[in-house]
Amino acid sequence: MSIPKKTVAVIFGGKSAEHDVSIITAHIPIIESLLVSGQFEVMPVYIAKDGSWYSEPSMNSLSYFKDPSYAERLARQKKIGLLFDNGLKLIWPGLRLRVQPIDIVFPAMHGTFGEDGSLMGLLRMANVPYVGCDLFSCAVAMDKVLTKQVVSAEGVPIVPYVWFTKFHWQEDKKRCAQAVESLSYPLFVKPVHLGSSIGISKIKTPKELENAVEVAFHYDNKVLVEQAVENLIEVTLPIMGNDILQFGQIERPMNKSDFFDFNDKYISGNQKGSGANSQYSEIPANIEERLKEQVVAFGKKTYTALGCSGIARIDFLIEGVQKKVYVNEVNTLPGSLYHHNWKKSGVSGLALVTKLIDLAFERFSAEQTATFAFPSDILRTIGGNKTQK
Amino acid sequence: MKKFLSRYHPRYIRSLVYMLQASEYSVRDYLHWLPRVENFRTVETRKNLVTTKKALLFLVGASVLLVISYAAALGSFFLFQSPLNALLSAIIVLAAPYIVAYGILIPLFLFNFFIQYPVTRFKIARAHEKLKKSKAIKIAIAGSYGKTSMREILRTVIGQGKRVQSPEGSINTPLGICNFIEGLKGDEEVLIFEFGEYYPGDITELSHLVRPDIGIITGVNEAHFEKFRRMEATTKTIFELAEYMGNKPLYVNGENQNVRKAAAHFHILYDRNGVLNWKVEKRKSDLSGTSFDLVQEAVRISVVSKLLGLHHIGPLVAAADIGLRVGLSLENITQGLNTTKAYDHRLEPIYDESGVITLDDSYNGNPDGASAVIDFLASLSGHRRFYVTPGLVEMGVRKEAIHREIGRKLALAQIEKVILIRNSVTPYIESGLQENKYRGEIIWYDTAHEAFSALPVLTAKGDVVLLQNDWPDQYA
Repeated sequence: MSIPKKTVAVIFGGKSAEHDVSIITAHIPIIESLLVSGQFEVMPVYIAKDGSWYSEPSMNSLSYFKDPSYAERLARQKKIGLLFDNGLKLIWPGLRLRVQPIDIVFPAMHGTFGEDGSLMGLLRMANVPYVGCDLFSCAVAMDKVLTKQVVSAEGVPIVPYVWFTKFHWQEDKKRCAQAVESLSYPLFVKPVHLGSSIGISKIKTPKELENAVEVAFHYDNKVLVEQAVENLIEVTLPIMGNDILQFGQIERPMNKSDFFDFNDKYISGNQKGSGANSQYSEIPANIEERLKEQVVAFGKKTYTALGCSGIARIDFLIEGVQKKVYVNEVNTLPGSLYHHNWKKSGVSGLALVTKLIDLAFERFSAEQTATFAFPSDILRTIGGNKTQK
Repeated sequence: MKKFLSRYHPRYIRSLVYMLQASEYSVRDYLHWLPRVENFRTVETRKNLVTTKKALLFLVGASVLLVISYAAALGSFFLFQSPLNALLSAIIVLAAPYIVAYGILIPLFLFNFFIQYPVTRFKIARAHEKLKKSKAIKIAIAGSYGKTSMREILRTVIGQGKRVQSPEGSINTPLGICNFIEGLKGDEEVLIFEFGEYYPGDITELSHLVRPDIGIITGVNEAHFEKFRRMEATTKTIFELAEYMGNKPLYVNGENQNVRKAAAHFHILYDRNGVLNWKVEKRKSDLSGTSFDLVQEAVRISVVSKLLGLHHIGPLVAAADIGLRVGLSLENITQGLNTTKAYDHRLEPIYDESGVITLDDSYNGNPDGASAVIDFLASLSGHRRFYVTPGLVEMGVRKEAIHREIGRKLALAQIEKVILIRNSVTPYIESGLQENKYRGEIIWYDTAHEAFSALPVLTAKGDVVLLQNDWPDQYA
C-alpha cells in the first residue's frame, strides 16, 4: 500500500519589494524539488502585490509568472480564502465550495509580510507546521538594529552603528546627524527591515547623508547607519537545522561595485533559471582557516541567539588587513534557499527541501507538547456574585 | 481508439514524412516502424521534421494523395446512384490514412529504383576507381559496437605521424563512404573506414569498395538483433570482413565472446592484457582517465589516456600495434595514446560548476558497452552514483535477458540511484535489480526529458551521473 502524499502549500509573492524574487525562490528550488520527489501534492499559493491570495495548479510552473499577461489571467481567477480548523485549509468560494486541507506550509515570501514574521504568525495561529524560522526569529532578524542588539549581547562582534526612526529624523535632523558623526566615514545607510540590498547607499562624506537617509526612508520608517568596513571581504554562511546544525559552504560574493546589490544577487551573471545568481560568488571562499573557524563559530552563535530554525543565512563582514570578523545581518529565507551553495556542500535541491520539511514537522511536534492554556478561576472571581454578597 | 483517430489528425501526414526522414528513407525501416505507432500526434518527440526539399516533396505528395482519397469518397457518395454508395464512401474514408501511409512509398520506391540506385552504383564505381589509385593504407572497422571509438583512437594515434582521413560522424554506408572518397585530395597516407552492418552482404559490399589492408572487428552482440534475429547471422555478416581479408592482418576483440568463438587462429586478438607480444601492466582507471604500461621485452610505453574505463585498453593497444604496422615511431605512438580522450556522447565526462560529474554515454546503446560502463561505475568509490537509462533498443528476443542482466549488474555494483524511463524494456531492468536484492533507490520518469529536468534537483557535488543510451523516436 502506498503512503498517502502530504499536501504542501508553497506561499510566495506578497506585498513586498522582493515579490518577484519570492516567485523565483518558490519555484527554484522549492516547487521543482517537491514535484520531482513525487512524495507531495504541491499547492502553489500566490499572494499578489495587492495582497489577494490565489492558487491553481498551473502556478506550479514558473512560466505562468514569466508570461507578461499573467496579471490579466490572474484577474479571471477566483481569490481563495483561509480556514483555521485545527490546521490550515484553503477555500475556493462559490456554488461548488472547494476546501483543501494543508499538511504543511513552505513559506517562500521574502521581505515584508513574509520574512518579517507576519506570515509565520498567521501559520502559528492556524496551528499548521511550516518550514523555516519561526515568528520570533524572523521578526528579530528582519530588523537589522534588533539583530545587532541581540547578537552583540551574546558577545558576537558587530560594526559600530546608529539608528533613528522617520519621526526622529523629521523632528530633529541635526541631532540624528550628530549621532552619525560618532562614526567614521565611509558609512552605509540602510532601511532597517528590507532585504536584497534594496534602498542601501554607501556614503563617503556628511554631505551625502541626507539624500541617502531620504532614500532609505522611502522604503522604511527606521534607518540604520553603520560604519563601512575597509579592506572588506564579505562572506555568507547558510545554516540548516533546529538544534543540531548543518553548515553550507562559506561563500564570498565577488561583487564588482562597492557593495553587491539586488542586481548582483539575482540578475547579473546571465544565468537562466537557477534562482539566486550563482555566478557572482566564490564557493568555498578563499579565506584563511582561522577566519573560516570564526565565521562558523559566530554563525552558530548568531543562529542560536536569534532562535532560528529550519534554515537561515548569516552575512559577515571581514576587515581584510586586521582579519577581524563581524556579523552583519541574518537572512531567514535565503534567496532560492541558497541551493547552489548547498549543492556544493553535497546537499541536492531535493535533499535540502525534504530535510527542511522534516525539520518543520520536528519543530511542530515539539511545540505540540508545550502547554499554552490552563484552567483558571479568574473569570468567576472578577465582578461576580461573591463580591456582591 | 486514440491510435485510430490520430490517423485523421492534421499532423498525420507530417508524422509519416518525419518517420520516413528519421528512417533515412529506408522502406524496410519505415514499414517496421509504422505498425508500432500508438499515436501519430506524438511521433516527433526527440527530434523534429527537417523541412528539406525531399521532405517537402513527400509532404505535398502525401497531401495530394489524401485530398484525392477524400474527393473519391465524396464523389462516390454524391455522383453514383448506387445504394451502396454510402458504404463505399465510408470504406474510402476509413482506408484513406492507409492509402497515404503506404501510397507515399510508391514515389519513394520509384525514386530509389530509377534514380537512387543507378546514382549509387555510379558513385560506387567512381569511388572504387579513385581509391584504387590511392596509395593510402586502408583500415576497415566492423562490429556491432565500438566502431566509432576504435576509429577515433586510431585517428588520434596514427595522426601523430601520418596524414590520416576518415569519414566524420557515423558515416558507414556505401553512399556515405563514396561521398567521403570523392572529397579526398589523394595525398592521404592512411584512410580509416567504419563498416555498417544493417543486412547480410553489407560488409562484403563495403569490403569490395574499400579493399582494406588492415581489418578490425570490435565485437559482435545483440545490437540490431531485431534485424538479424540470430547471433549467428550477425556474426556471419560482421565476419564477412574476415572472409574478405583472407591472410591480411585482422585484429579481433578478444574480450568479446562471440568474436573469440568465430575468430581463426591467425587473427590477431587484442584485449586489456595486450596484443601479440605487447603485454599490459599496471592498468588503472578512474574519473581522471586510464593508465597502463605497454611492455615488450626492453621496451616500456607508459600510457595515460583521458578515456574512462579499462575496456578502452584493448582498443588502445590494438591502435598501438597498428601504428607500428603503418610505420609510426614509438614516440609517435606514445604521444598518440596519451592524446586520446572521450568522444562526443561516448562516456564523455562533463563537469558542472556545482561539482556534479555527468558521464554522457548516450551514444552507447549496446549490452557490452553498458556492461563495461557499469564495471567502471562499480570501480568508483567515494561518489554517489546515478545510472539513467531508457534501456537498449533493437534487442529482439533477447531484450528481456539483456535488461535483466543490466539490472543484475547494477545491483551487484551497488549503484545508489537507478533512474529508469518508462517503456517496454525498463521493467526488466527493475526485475533484474529486485531479483538481486538491490538496496538503492529506483526512480521512474515517463520521459527522458523529465528525467533530465529532474537531475539538477536530485544531484549534488561529488555525484556521478551516467546517461546510458538515448532512444530515438522510432523506439519510443
